[in-house]
Amino acid sequence: MTTFIIRRVIWTIPVVLLVIFMVFVMMRQIGGNPFRVTERNVPEAIQRNLERKYHIDEPWYVQYSYYVKGVFTYDLGPSMRLRTRSVNDIIEEHFPKSLQLGLYAFLWSVVIGIPLGVLAALRPNSIFDYGAMLFSNVGFALPNFLVATLLIYYAAVRWDLVPTNGWPSGEGIAQLWAVDSRVILPVFALGLFPLAYFARLVRGAMLETMQQDYVRTAKAKGLRWRRVVGLHVLRNSLIPAITATAPLLGLIITGTFVIEIIFSIPGIGRYFIQSVSNRDLSVVMGVTVLTSVVVILANLFVDIMYGFLDPRTRDVRS
Amino acid sequence: MRRNKWPLLVAALLALFVFTAAGCGGDDEGAPTPTGEEPGQPAAEQVITIAWGAEPPSLDPGLASDTTSANIIGNIMDPLLRIDHETSEPVPNLAESWEVSEDGMTVTINLRDDGMWTNGDPVTAQDYVYSWKRTLSPELAADYAYQLYALQGGQEYNGCEANCDALADAVGVRAVDDTTLEVTLVSPQPWFIAQLSHHSFLPVHQATVEQFGDQWTLPENIVTNGPFRLVAREPEASIDLEKWDEWRNADEVTLERVNGRIIVDGTTRVQAFEAGEVDALDGSGLPPDEIARLKELPEYENYPYLGTYYYGFNIENISDVNQRKAMSLAIDRQTIIDNIAQADQQPATGMTPPGIAGQEEINPNSPWTPASGDIEQATALMGQVSSPDTKINLFHNDAPGHREIAVAVQSMWQELGLQTTIKAQEWAQYLEFIGPPPSKQVDVYRLGWIYDFPDAWNGLSLWTCESGNNSTNFCNEEFDALVKQAESTPDEAERFQVYAQAEQIMFGEDGEVPFSPIYWYTLPNLENLSIKDTFFIGPFNDMDLTKVVVTEAAA
Repeated sequence: MTTFIIRRVIWTIPVVLLVIFMVFVMMRQIGGNPFRVTERNVPEAIQRNLERKYHIDEPWYVQYSYYVKGVFTYDLGPSMRLRTRSVNDIIEEHFPKSLQLGLYAFLWSVVIGIPLGVLAALRPNSIFDYGAMLFSNVGFALPNFLVATLLIYYAAVRWDLVPTNGWPSGEGIAQLWAVDSRVILPVFALGLFPLAYFARLVRGAMLETMQQDYVRTAKAKGLRWRRVVGLHVLRNSLIPAITATAPLLGLIITGTFVIEIIFSIPGIGRYFIQSVSNRDLSVVMGVTVLTSVVVILANLFVDIMYGFLDPRTRDVRS
Repeated sequence: MRRNKWPLLVAALLALFVFTAAGCGGDDEGAPTPTGEEPGQPAAEQVITIAWGAEPPSLDPGLASDTTSANIIGNIMDPLLRIDHETSEPVPNLAESWEVSEDGMTVTINLRDDGMWTNGDPVTAQDYVYSWKRTLSPELAADYAYQLYALQGGQEYNGCEANCDALADAVGVRAVDDTTLEVTLVSPQPWFIAQLSHHSFLPVHQATVEQFGDQWTLPENIVTNGPFRLVAREPEASIDLEKWDEWRNADEVTLERVNGRIIVDGTTRVQAFEAGEVDALDGSGLPPDEIARLKELPEYENYPYLGTYYYGFNIENISDVNQRKAMSLAIDRQTIIDNIAQADQQPATGMTPPGIAGQEEINPNSPWTPASGDIEQATALMGQVSSPDTKINLFHNDAPGHREIAVAVQSMWQELGLQTTIKAQEWAQYLEFIGPPPSKQVDVYRLGWIYDFPDAWNGLSLWTCESGNNSTNFCNEEFDALVKQAESTPDEAERFQVYAQAEQIMFGEDGEVPFSPIYWYTLPNLENLSIKDTFFIGPFNDMDLTKVVVTEAAA
């Protein structure tokens, strides 16, 4: 297991290099002047000054080396649009909030979604099952920005239960447990789709597992139904759910972009989108690399969980 | 029956969730708490919350280039003068008075002696010399440095590559004494005085800037000289101002605190307002699909905004002036305003909007921009075009609202026999396309121009041959000569005549119609009834928070 983890971690480096290269090439391809903010054209002298300040007037390989060096020394340079903030500051200020949002949404989807699927599978074709699956279908069908806007309209404006937007803030690592009522709606909206997905998946997997011969054997043996479900059925049904976690985490990461804009959450997702429109290469670079590292780590985490749940896979690796 | 406990547990958890939410809900910060006084009286708590539509990229007057930064800077700093909203004339503020020399090349500004920085230092003329040269310096690479090209030596210093200190010394601004500033202009620009209201002419505190570098605008470092001070800032989330009790005119300021929430999404802004979480929006626009409903609310307010929304023609592609005249005639501006833009904009009849000094004389009342369009005349004119360009590419940027207008115009032009293809583009790419010079594919493009100061020159100088904002390929020597002439015509009446002639060249009976102005902008806004009477957004999207008073809302 340890060699497996170490190998995966080492593989991160060529992946990051590839990401830097692709971002660099793509941003150059799409062109655009990062300094022309409004419709006003930038006078020549000012354009030159700005290009000199941000090293854009140097040959492409020099610029590329700045970025590679910057990523590996964690000195990602200044933002071209926000003149007085460095990309490091931007990431340190805003990434914890997005991380918090994503984690909470994921936890919410797991804590509610999986039990929902389990319970629905244990009472197939009952009112509860139909209700849970209806809820799950709605969660699939409605895009998260629609859910978000509806939630704000009803919960915040009409019934005045929660504030309409915003996010609590905390210092450094304390951000991850900084909570107030503003957390509720965004987490609900972002986690709805993964919740629906987990519920359906677990229900289906459980129903299928319960048909298996070994389950019938266990019941026939006289084991209590609770033990059969809890030990045998559940563990095997969770495997497809774990498999689904990796792409769902990716979905959550990209979903934060929209949710952050709607709920005015000062996270990194908003920066990502805006910095591409702004042609702010240093921010795009920093955030993309960060996102790829997060996705790689998430996938690694999922694979490790896999190993715990399914002993068969453990021996195949290493 | 143990397995039946699970649904109970889940239900209990959900109920707990909902009850905590209800308990923590109803965040009502910013709304004034009634104290039982009569309606109309100033409330006990003079605190308001404004929803800003964007994070201000920089609070450094030298670097700010957007309206949010300009509005905040305009209230934490003390401008030399302000523009009166009714008369469009400059009103003294920190500058007590000013004189312009006979030839118009030298301006002497006399500062008040009670200007003060928040750390106790007096505001002196040296502060302005330092700040203006700093804004012009190539190292700062300020976007708005071009505003200071009015100063002699300004453009040279800004474009300097090496050995810049000598050029810095040669810039035409000097401190005669602590309260007298002498400015030498590069030409007798008559609008320079009005231009001084722009935020790029605000001073910065030298010692603070030198000590903290680009971190000087953080709340713990910043030193300002205006009626409010920056007390708290969370990037992308909030920005809070508090009244500065030692400002020279502090007893005329009623507001104690202005909390700013940064809400980028238009719909969320409106929802925050309707939930009572913010007292006013900042004029950055209401979502187009809600404007019809919001206009009926008593909280709705509408302000003129000095700017022109237009469709530019690529003269190289649409080379026959009759076709351009026809296309301009066919546009039914009033219908577009009533049904699409819906913010009571004014149909434009020339470039210069009302609110610019002398607009009544300058406006050509163009025969080519009738408010409701004129299809008959347009079709007749189209008939006179020998080889019309019938396949039109209409480009616009993909911000909300432009597409709908383009679709309307497309159907209007169809009646002329023109087939219009609408192409929406992302902003940065769009700007590359229209250049100038515009890409060959561009036949018509949509753009707007927001005025920096209340002189028509600001809008007319866009259309000179060399202008970096002229993507129409319009190049008329007579027009250029008139614009140049205006630069040396200090007498207002005379200058307005020059502007009128320039507008005639573009939009008169024999005008070249290089672009078709559609409407003059407005700022639709929502304001809580407790501040609506005193909360005001000026025609440059400028807010003067010293005038705002929170009153008891009527019962």
